[in-house]
Amino acid sequence: MPCGSTYLWKGMSTWFCCGGSWGPCGSAGGGACGTCQSASHMAAWPYLTSACFNITRPDECGEGLPERGCGYTVNVKHQCSGAKVCVTFADCGPNTHEFCGEEVCCNGSCRTNRIIDLTPSAFSAIGNLDSGSLPVYIYE
Amino acid sequence: MRNVLLLPELAPLALAVLLGWTGGAKLLGRHTARQAADTALARLLPGDRTAALALRAVGALELVLAAALLVVPPSSVTLWPVALWPVTLWPVTAAATAALGAGFAGYLAYAKVTAPQSSCGCASARHTPVTPRSFARAGLVVAGGAGCAAAQAPWWSAANHRPVAAAVVVIAFGVILVVTSSELDSRWLLPLRRARVRLFGHPLAGTAGEVPVAATVELLENSLAWQTMAPIVRSALADHWDSDGWRILRYSGVHTGADGPRPVSVVFALDANATLHTVTEPVIRVSVVDEESQQAIATPAAEVTRRPLLPMAAPGLAGA
Amino acid sequence: MQNSASTPFDRRRFLTSAAVAGATIVGASALGGLDPDAAFAAPMRPTDPAIAAADFAEGIITGVKGSTLHVHGSFGTDYLIRLTNATSVWKVHPTTAAAIETGDGMYARGVRMPDGTIAADAIWVNIVNITCKVRAITSDRVHLQHNQHTIVGRILTGTTVATYGHASATKDLSRLRVGQAVQVLGAWRPADGSVDVVRFSTGH
Repeated sequence: MPCGSTYLWKGMSTWFCCGGSWGPCGSAGGGACGTCQSASHMAAWPYLTSACFNITRPDECGEGLPERGCGYTVNVKHQCSGAKVCVTFADCGPNTHEFCGEEVCCNGSCRTNRIIDLTPSAFSAIGNLDSGSLPVYIYE
Repeated sequence: MRNVLLLPELAPLALAVLLGWTGGAKLLGRHTARQAADTALARLLPGDRTAALALRAVGALELVLAAALLVVPPSSVTLWPVALWPVTLWPVTAAATAALGAGFAGYLAYAKVTAPQSSCGCASARHTPVTPRSFARAGLVVAGGAGCAAAQAPWWSAANHRPVAAAVVVIAFGVILVVTSSELDSRWLLPLRRARVRLFGHPLAGTAGEVPVAATVELLENSLAWQTMAPIVRSALADHWDSDGWRILRYSGVHTGADGPRPVSVVFALDANATLHTVTEPVIRVSVVDEESQQAIATPAAEVTRRPLLPMAAPGLAGA
Repeated sequence: MQNSASTPFDRRRFLTSAAVAGATIVGASALGGLDPDAAFAAPMRPTDPAIAAADFAEGIITGVKGSTLHVHGSFGTDYLIRLTNATSVWKVHPTTAAAIETGDGMYARGVRMPDGTIAADAIWVNIVNITCKVRAITSDRVHLQHNQHTIVGRILTGTTVATYGHASATKDLSRLRVGQAVQVLGAWRPADGSVDVVRFSTGH
């Protein structure tokens, strides 16, 4: 069921731009799925495909998250405020293994390792872009 | 051997190494199609496939020239192989090399003007922007090609006759090649920069200072106060200032009271010196001020001190 | 509190008094936060029935007319963004609408009005969040590699901070390393494509 309430994973969410918009995003294409746009509720997942996994290597940080492909939808919930957004997987990322040990906390409870990247549209729906990262739960 | 410097004699060797490398990368590389699509060739020629074919053709030409530079002796030599080569082959090789370099320089200029973000496509499928170093390398090919014409002997004879001098010149050519090839930077330039930081100290040492606002915002976002006020806050951080050891963070929000939704400022006051590492239980003062009446509003914040912890989830339910 | 502040300085003094005299909330522990299923069921941010779900806009600012921004979206949509006294404006740091210029890029969160415009709650001007590798460090710049391109990251004295792993944000940038992977949060400069770095984040 798309964007359901079954717990899938938890960790840090950061944000990124895609789809060839302004600034350094000008040279970014439509992501690994070809459909990514900063203005849509979309996300990058580290295990989009096997090829993607070989780049992001979340296992090196101890994250055994499952494979979910292009077009898959999940709910991303800000651990602190409860704000929630439904996103569609459209790209491969983040590069989890390069940031092992990175942490963001809320209410004394900390989420470690970046395991999802949201478009500006999705991230701003549950937090502030200048925060850079949020602790989140992910549901499918 | 009359030429003291050996430069014209050894230039063919250096050029052969350069053109062999770049030609091989273009003709035999597995990623030539992608390499071509990233360059200004894709703009110059109709379609990515044509650009890839053109890139491979240039690579083939470079390899042929590299081979010629390596084995064809200058025509003034009277060694036995010279009978196998037409007398004009050496000048043609030298002229072709110089022309190739001029062609590179012209193409790089075109690329810089029409597609400044494009890749050079010169020696690697990795994106390498067109920089002054690219032009310098093309210029060296022109100069090298022209210089070759003045060679008095094949490079192998020159090296044999004056091995030490030849070694010095070859090493110098090698250094020039590496310095003008940004494709090779990761092998020497980054380690050199790391070593410089280790030897001479970090350029950004001594930048530590008072607690930055970002750390205070982190502390706030980690707190119960933030979670409590989340339903009211609508904006990102609107303003901040320090006053008497307090750091004030102001947000805009909407409070729905008896007379409907009203715009408010939500202000948090924190210890300006507190961070996630200095406090585990941050003490935060909160006030909600009606924007129009400038009156403080009683909010849920006033009733909250601590919420009871929820019972722990059963093992296996919460995940890692 | 009867004090109605007129100048910005008075307003800050007034708000400071209000804040310091306000309710005290102690602690970082609220919900256990360990049970995500319970967290899913926990009450969410209540939506005010008078205000619709948050809307989003992005693009290049093509015109600034009073408190209205004309924005050319990157994906075919154009927007009219209305700024109010309640809109927070970020351009390197929290600032005012006066800092917004034509040619700036932006993301905005707000509410769609009946006339089709968006009343912005928050606008982030030229904000970027890019994963890079550090290629060189000088006293006022960090040269970064992002997706095959080189970007100059400018260090802003007093503003640029770094977060190393789970440490809190610090102004100490001396732990940045050549060759290291960093997340760079900053403000793009349209004129030359460089980035004013607000925060470096690393894994450790």
